[in-house]
Amino acid sequence: MDRSKHNDIVHHASAMADKASFVADDFAQALFPRTDVIFNDRMRSNAQQYLRSVVGQIEKRICIIATQDMGVSQPVLLGIAQGGDDQSYAMLEQSGLLKTSEIVQHLFVKTQQSELAARLLQKISQEDLESTLTRHLDHEDPTVAEAAMGLLIAQSKTTGAEGQIAASLADLPPEIAYAFAWPVTAALVKRSGFSGPQLQQATERLLAAHDESAGVARKAERLAQLLDQSEAEKTSISHPMRDGLTLFVARLARQSGLTSDQIVAFTAEPNMARFVVVMRAADFPVQEALSIFAALDGGDHILTAASYGETDRERCLALVSRWAAPDAYQNAERLLSDDFLDIQGK
Amino acid sequence: MTTDRKLTEPVSGQVDVDGLLLSADPLLMRLHLRCGGKEGGPLAVPELAELCRLSRRLGMNLSRPVQASDDESRIEMWVETRFSASDKTDPLGLSIIDWKEYPHDGGDKVDPSRERDFDRLEGRGAIRTDAALRIIAQQMSGEAGQDFDVIGQSLLDIYDVIPPAANASLLEAVAERQPIRNQRMRQKSAAQRLFVLQGNPLIDKAGLFAGYRFTATPDDAPDVPAANGTDIKRATGKLISDSLFGMQLGPALRQPLGKIIANAETISGKLEGPLRGDYASYAKDIASAGRHLLDLVNDLSDLEAIERPEFTVAGDDIDLVDLAHRAAGLLAVKAADHHIRIDLPDESKRIPASGEFRRSLQILVNLIGNAIRYSPDGSVIKLRVSVEDGFARIAVSDQGDGIAAEDQERIFEKFERLGRSGDGGSGLGLFISRRLARAMGGSLIVDSKAGKGSTFTLSLPERKTA
Repeated sequence: MDRSKHNDIVHHASAMADKASFVADDFAQALFPRTDVIFNDRMRSNAQQYLRSVVGQIEKRICIIATQDMGVSQPVLLGIAQGGDDQSYAMLEQSGLLKTSEIVQHLFVKTQQSELAARLLQKISQEDLESTLTRHLDHEDPTVAEAAMGLLIAQSKTTGAEGQIAASLADLPPEIAYAFAWPVTAALVKRSGFSGPQLQQATERLLAAHDESAGVARKAERLAQLLDQSEAEKTSISHPMRDGLTLFVARLARQSGLTSDQIVAFTAEPNMARFVVVMRAADFPVQEALSIFAALDGGDHILTAASYGETDRERCLALVSRWAAPDAYQNAERLLSDDFLDIQGK
Repeated sequence: MTTDRKLTEPVSGQVDVDGLLLSADPLLMRLHLRCGGKEGGPLAVPELAELCRLSRRLGMNLSRPVQASDDESRIEMWVETRFSASDKTDPLGLSIIDWKEYPHDGGDKVDPSRERDFDRLEGRGAIRTDAALRIIAQQMSGEAGQDFDVIGQSLLDIYDVIPPAANASLLEAVAERQPIRNQRMRQKSAAQRLFVLQGNPLIDKAGLFAGYRFTATPDDAPDVPAANGTDIKRATGKLISDSLFGMQLGPALRQPLGKIIANAETISGKLEGPLRGDYASYAKDIASAGRHLLDLVNDLSDLEAIERPEFTVAGDDIDLVDLAHRAAGLLAVKAADHHIRIDLPDESKRIPASGEFRRSLQILVNLIGNAIRYSPDGSVIKLRVSVEDGFARIAVSDQGDGIAAEDQERIFEKFERLGRSGDGGSGLGLFISRRLARAMGGSLIVDSKAGKGSTFTLSLPERKTA
């Protein structure tokens, strides 16, 4: 009998036994989801791919700073800095350190963004989509033109292959980069056995070098603000096929007082109901709203002029205003609601 | 002051680990001071200070929009923080790359949700309709939530329009996208509650009419004139000056209207030289429309005046015969245009009465003017005076179509035209005249039969002469 194979089976069996108690949790989550959002296989795959890529990039960058800038010569760290296999991901995945709501919410938004981009590409060619980004380059206000150029450059750096999610360290929101960087550092310390302060210092340098202004999201947000301040543009209705997805989302977010992440998340919900409410609250004309809905819809849902037109704008405004409240408040409000207390039997 | 975002170079500042503003360019320093900060004190612009704290906590460079506000303006900025990796205790650099100031101008604008709160607070309900007057949302006072049963139904299927207006006038106002004021409606359901509706047309971003937003004030009080007045006062609240027409719009409108009328009359009279006949006719129409508008402005000024609680009239010594001759003299040309003869009481006769001269003359001009308007050409209008039961009376009789018995009270209601339009009337004249007569301790009544003309009788307290 092959002894090594036997050992593998034993090892595998032990690992399975350790995890067995979580089977019920996993199955329960799949059976009893608490939201109506459907996560398809492509989203799961993209999320895992993105997560692995981000962890790998952070790990490599820390190792490069530690080994090249700070003279650390530990073999595991050197191997990672020189492009070897990543070491932290498996540890972090098993430990549950990547399951924080902050990171998972970011993953969800990124994968949904990727979904939207894929849907958009079914309606407009990549070439045409890219040309939308040049729309504001000739803007009469040089500040706007300059901001548009900045967005164009930032986007060109992070565009992934068609249907694939692009992970770029420069594009990570600072809070998310921070949330990833320290667990990765701890994993590196554990994996390499290197106990000097240099790994932590390398992480600090990595974070200090991170420039939020270079990221696509902030570039789009700033351009949205400038366009909103521009007399010529402030009344124009944004459309993903005219402005590109990122700028469209940023402009709608600015108009509604919500965050771009919220807008993207709304598009994942059934019938994009909350997204429609946001458009109605922003007073998008019927035809524009129908066209935007069709451009971003992933199924065969239909938004009719009648249902959109008859949606009470004032109620939409009130709802959007509630959704713009801080998350902590919204959560507390939900937990304190009569319905919830009834459910709890309180 | 408005500063555009085109900063020649970024506005800079430095904040230390304790959040003290160590240095700042003038623009930032001014904002800091206006927000209550002191030189060398903690950065006093709240969102900016929060950004600095976050940047320091993460040890990262941030780039975010920031809003601030001082007494004069609201400022939108785009701010980048510069964190020193080498020494965490080094000051944090601030670089403001966009800066746009907006004057505080939203004072008069009421947020829709606040408007709803005020509505609820004051016991008003709200109804929102689409362009076809179908109800999209309704929440009436005293009801906890939305009334979903009525959604999708026409407003006119749920409510009866009651005078002073009718379905037709309401629909006319809707067709013209006009605001709707003090429209009384009665629920058709078993409750039959009365409401006074104020409606404003809603226009969407594309400039298209999108329906109405109504506020509905319960009007369960008995239908007496005083209640009407109260409703108006409550509905207008303090948003509109108590003397909008009398003190503000009236004078502002009379002058340009006067010029329009004068110029149009000059053109129609061909005083400046020959003119094509149809153009002269157009100018006559313009002058006539101008006069109608001027009358309307005057009526609205009067309406506003008489509905004020402090409205009083003077107690002049007047003579109804003298007034009759003066009023007829003012309308002589108009009567002559229609070949109408005004039969006046003997000029030597005296009917002393007590009342304000100007207001009494106004009532008579209104009565004779109406008589001319609704009498056939070539007919006679009779003015007769008498004294009875301590009241001096003057009756104006015409040979017009008369008024049906069921309409005889309605004609004294505000804006009531009995379905007539295009004859230059505003529907306010008789309402105002009756209110004036009552204010002077008298009355104004009508006696009429369909097809047999009408007689309007103004009674004022008799003045005993020594």
